[in-house]
Amino acid sequence: MSEQPQSFSHDLTRRRFIQGSAMAGVAAFIAACTGTRASAPPASAPASTAPVASSSVAPSVAPSPSVAASPKVVSGPLKFANWPAYIDLAGAAGEAGEYSPGSSPSLEEFQKQFKVKVDYQEKIGDNATFVETIKPALVGGLATGWDLMVLTDWMASKVVANGWAEKIDQTNVPNCTGNIRDALKGQAWDATNDYHYPWQSGMTGVGFNAKTLKDNGIAEPTKIADLWNIPPDKMTFLTEARDTFGLVLLKLGVDANGETVTEQQLKDAAAAIQPLVDGGLRFTGNEYLESFAQKKVWAAFVWSGDLASSGGDDDKFIFPEEGTLIWTDNMLIPKGAANRYTAELMMNYVYDPKIAAQIANYIYYVSPVKGADEEIKKLDPEAATNPLLFPTPETVAKQHNFQSLSEEMEKIMNDLYSTLSGT
Amino acid sequence: MTAGSARTPRGPTFRARFGHAVPYLLLAPGLFWLVVFYVIPAVQMFTYSISTGSLETGFEMSLTGDAYATAIDRFGKQFMNSILFGGAATLLTLAIGFPVAYTIAFRGGRYKNLILFLVIAPFFTSFLIRTISWKILLGDEGPLLAPLRHGLGFLDNDWLLIGHGAVIDGRFSLLNTPISQLAGLTYNFLPFMILPLYVALEKIDPRLIEAAEDLFANRAAAFRRVTLPLALPGVFAGSLLTFIPAMGDYINAELLGNPGTRMIGNVIQNRLLVQNDYPVGSALSFMLMAGILVAVAVYARALGTEQLTG
Repeated sequence: MSEQPQSFSHDLTRRRFIQGSAMAGVAAFIAACTGTRASAPPASAPASTAPVASSSVAPSVAPSPSVAASPKVVSGPLKFANWPAYIDLAGAAGEAGEYSPGSSPSLEEFQKQFKVKVDYQEKIGDNATFVETIKPALVGGLATGWDLMVLTDWMASKVVANGWAEKIDQTNVPNCTGNIRDALKGQAWDATNDYHYPWQSGMTGVGFNAKTLKDNGIAEPTKIADLWNIPPDKMTFLTEARDTFGLVLLKLGVDANGETVTEQQLKDAAAAIQPLVDGGLRFTGNEYLESFAQKKVWAAFVWSGDLASSGGDDDKFIFPEEGTLIWTDNMLIPKGAANRYTAELMMNYVYDPKIAAQIANYIYYVSPVKGADEEIKKLDPEAATNPLLFPTPETVAKQHNFQSLSEEMEKIMNDLYSTLSGT
Repeated sequence: MTAGSARTPRGPTFRARFGHAVPYLLLAPGLFWLVVFYVIPAVQMFTYSISTGSLETGFEMSLTGDAYATAIDRFGKQFMNSILFGGAATLLTLAIGFPVAYTIAFRGGRYKNLILFLVIAPFFTSFLIRTISWKILLGDEGPLLAPLRHGLGFLDNDWLLIGHGAVIDGRFSLLNTPISQLAGLTYNFLPFMILPLYVALEKIDPRLIEAAEDLFANRAAAFRRVTLPLALPGVFAGSLLTFIPAMGDYINAELLGNPGTRMIGNVIQNRLLVQNDYPVGSALSFMLMAGILVAVAVYARALGTEQLTG
């Protein structure tokens, strides 16, 4: 990960830092000399940020404490944390369904256009696990090592509420302010998009491998309830408790609505899952893609675009008859990010309808960008009928939002989930 | 001479004054470490375990045992799993490690160092990578199961099976079962067993064994009555070094197990880092610590303490 040339300037800084302190021990002097940026932090800062940074390339610059507006200087490498199967890929990486540096046309174009490296990493498998890795830095007021991250509504709202996101300079993101789809504006937790812009929207439904099911004489599921006829040790549900509980509520014929859900309903859902757990059901984050690739799972709760973009030929996604869950993943700049302006440039860049179309048409999620629809149809006329990109009215009618649980219900759900998952 | 006699009065004075403190001064760095990084956190953890509250409202010491009640009530199964998996892994590492250590110590010859190096060679790779590689090895389509499933036709030819589907059918998996979890634990902790065993066996004077064989015993009896008792300190040290971390381990259960095989380490990790439920997490940690202490005490008593310091 870290051997890429994009970390060159950091390596140089750190190497010289280490050499310097070893030889002379005049750390402050060295830090002042080697820092390419104007505000040299106290000499101890680079060392103290290293242990908390979750990435292998530690940031060499400590958060500049509340500078009013980020200087409009492109800096890098831009550290971008995203979910697997969430960026357009070309060549061998596209076949493998896994990002490797240089494999994403849109990111390559960005790097060329702005002459800055992008260190894009598919580090987010579920919200809680990822945020757990940066929480100590955020609580301690240190840089997380990331400049841009993508989190689902419920977690994004928490990050914003805790003051863990940098405010976006709206003058740097004219594409975002102009092109964000109206339906996504005015979220209660950040009504004026001071801190976030959506990356993609998607649905949670059911995925399966048609061939393995057929080989084992099991009919393809059309509804969530059908999963209870599949060997549980050949299935995974999601570590995102909202997705798992939401879909099981739909199976039970209960409206999966984050605002009206009751304790009893959550308990019923847990009781419905328990027999599957006893039979060997597991819970995974986005790693379910690996399980599908290895034919380890026959069916699973999955997110809508993943299997279409990164699964095999036999891997299918269905909108179950009971309905789907809808959510939006959002770009945020974590507090203390070293390259805020570049992060804003990236936000602005992906809100260019052409780029948005290029990404959405590859990853099969619903783009938040106005005008992307037309561009997608230009790129690929067939895509116009793809329900993953353009959900049909019937699908939309059965979409449920299970994001905004009250704190009390969230606690109950997390508790039930932790019992199910054995922790 | 004069210079020497001028110095002599100062020497004894210094020694008389500070001599008794030298052992303590030598211990000081270690004690400091222990106090700062063990005693203080342990006290704090205990305080949390008898507190109530949440991360948002803050924790207040309420002197209730609620957290302990929850811990025992809800996580008995995971405690049991820890004991079972930790214990089984220890026995397995002993069974695998003893012959290895014995061979290195008595038959290693000039390859001793090379073999010892090979024992620890996997440690040059990260613990996580080593564990993840077991996922590949034991995967349904991995090098072990794929041939059984496809190549040899076990699936398609009924005559190869002992009863239809009895050996390996399309559903058979190793990964995410108790077997894979135990395999991972055993593998990861094996060197911790082999090295102390090797040290103990290496110290044995071969002439003692020769003498036993000359005087009264056949080889088996010599092994039982000379080699084994002399190797006991190694067995003891190896079992502790294996059992204690294996019991608290959560990586193997997380990556190679399933929800039914989660161990107490997984619960502690989840409680402290994900749920921010410090009281229950701390109570569990404390009970784990106490449990291990009791287990070690019983074990030491059973083996006989005086032999164990070697």
